[in-house]
Amino acid sequence: MDTLTRIKTLAEKEFSIAPGELDAAASLDSLGIDSLSFIEFMFKVEEEFGVAVSDDDLKGIKTLADLERHVASALAAAGKA
Amino acid sequence: MGARRVAITGIGVVSPLGNNLQNFHRALAEGRSGIGRLPEDVTRGSGVQVGATVQWSPAPLLKDGEAANLDRVSQFALGSAAQALAASRLDLAAADRSRVGVSWGTGMGGAISVDSSYQQVYGKGEWRVRPLTVVMAMNNAAGSNVAVRHGLRGPFANYSTACSSSAMALGEAMRTILAGRADAMVAGGAEALLTPGTLAAWQALRTLAPADAADPASSCKPFDKRRAGLVLGEGAAAFVLEEESHARKRGATIHGFLTGYGNTCDAAHMSRPDRDGQVRAMREALEEAGLAPADVGYINAHGTATAVGDVVEAEAINAVFDGSPVRVSSTKALHGHLLGGAGALEFAVAMLALEEGLLAPTAFLEQPDPACQLNHVARKAERIEPPRAVMSNSFAFGGSNVVLVAQRA
Repeated sequence: MDTLTRIKTLAEKEFSIAPGELDAAASLDSLGIDSLSFIEFMFKVEEEFGVAVSDDDLKGIKTLADLERHVASALAAAGKA
Repeated sequence: MGARRVAITGIGVVSPLGNNLQNFHRALAEGRSGIGRLPEDVTRGSGVQVGATVQWSPAPLLKDGEAANLDRVSQFALGSAAQALAASRLDLAAADRSRVGVSWGTGMGGAISVDSSYQQVYGKGEWRVRPLTVVMAMNNAAGSNVAVRHGLRGPFANYSTACSSSAMALGEAMRTILAGRADAMVAGGAEALLTPGTLAAWQALRTLAPADAADPASSCKPFDKRRAGLVLGEGAAAFVLEEESHARKRGATIHGFLTGYGNTCDAAHMSRPDRDGQVRAMREALEEAGLAPADVGYINAHGTATAVGDVVEAEAINAVFDGSPVRVSSTKALHGHLLGGAGALEFAVAMLALEEGLLAPTAFLEQPDPACQLNHVARKAERIEPPRAVMSNSFAFGGSNVVLVAQRA
């Protein structure tokens, strides 16, 4: 399973969104995901992939696709990708 | 128009005796105990042997993702509140929800979230704690989750006075309605603290009963010579309290009226109970209800089954009810001690007596302690003509005494 699909699967469970209805390019706001909920979700994503997203990177994350890019680059930097 | 009165229009229960009012009442009537040996992963090195656990499944009330982000105490609160609101048939979509509030009680709030974060930090040396820890653990989380879920924007309060927390939440909710600040309140309490760290702290107090060798389900024996201490439990109970005319206008079923609330402090000792404080609380509640002791047909006693506590409460009851031998039981023998949730759950027991005349027993009371001379409902449930009024006592560490009185509709 690719990184984005794994993140989407986690998000569907976390936010009770029906499978396939999640638009990774949609803003977190439009998905009804508030900042605290997102930080909790990102914590779980970090656990899942064994990577860390920095506070600086966090500021630029507006969509799940943004998150996927940071996770993918962190995986690449760690030689896990 | 008469004075404002507070009607009880909905009741919900999540308990070691079942997760709805019907199952709870059936277990009480049958004298079935919810106490048993606790699993090893809960007791760990604490030495605690028995407890009263809730058989809980978050579904269908909560989706997987929701449940994972709610402490068990909040899940119990949501379960009981949803039942109470459904039973009340209060149409929240049509109601002015700025006139509906939440009054909640809990002793330790999100104890499991606290415990697991501490296990991670101090136990494993891992300082990466989940971001929701604060909002899952905070003491007001359970009540706040009830408000958020149902959009209840009226008065909100969370009471934390150990074993009297949820009785106080009910009494203060009554006051809020009587003061005209709300038309209705969801009031109750919850507790979920069966964790290794919390059990160790309780065990250190040397106040918990060991497992009864012959039958662990009978480990808690209030008012009995053989009593050996309390048994911790978990769960929640919620009520919809409603201003009478508001309830009547919508044709609600009224189960009874909450008419008396006594609230005193011993101001004497952190754990040793004081007869005078309890007497004053019972008298205050009766006075507010405008009742004489003889009007009360049943008392759900605090009766934790500690050596000192049961004697002091018996003396206090006898001082107030001198000459009117009121029926008394402590149902903690069956559902354990829910601490912050105890007052609300036991008020639901008292309501069973008020509505149906069914007196739930002090189960396993076979050798009454002469120092606890009361008109016990011993061993088996009894059925009487529904009394005019009932009382529920909650006496807490810290010296807080709360007494609730309810009257027939």
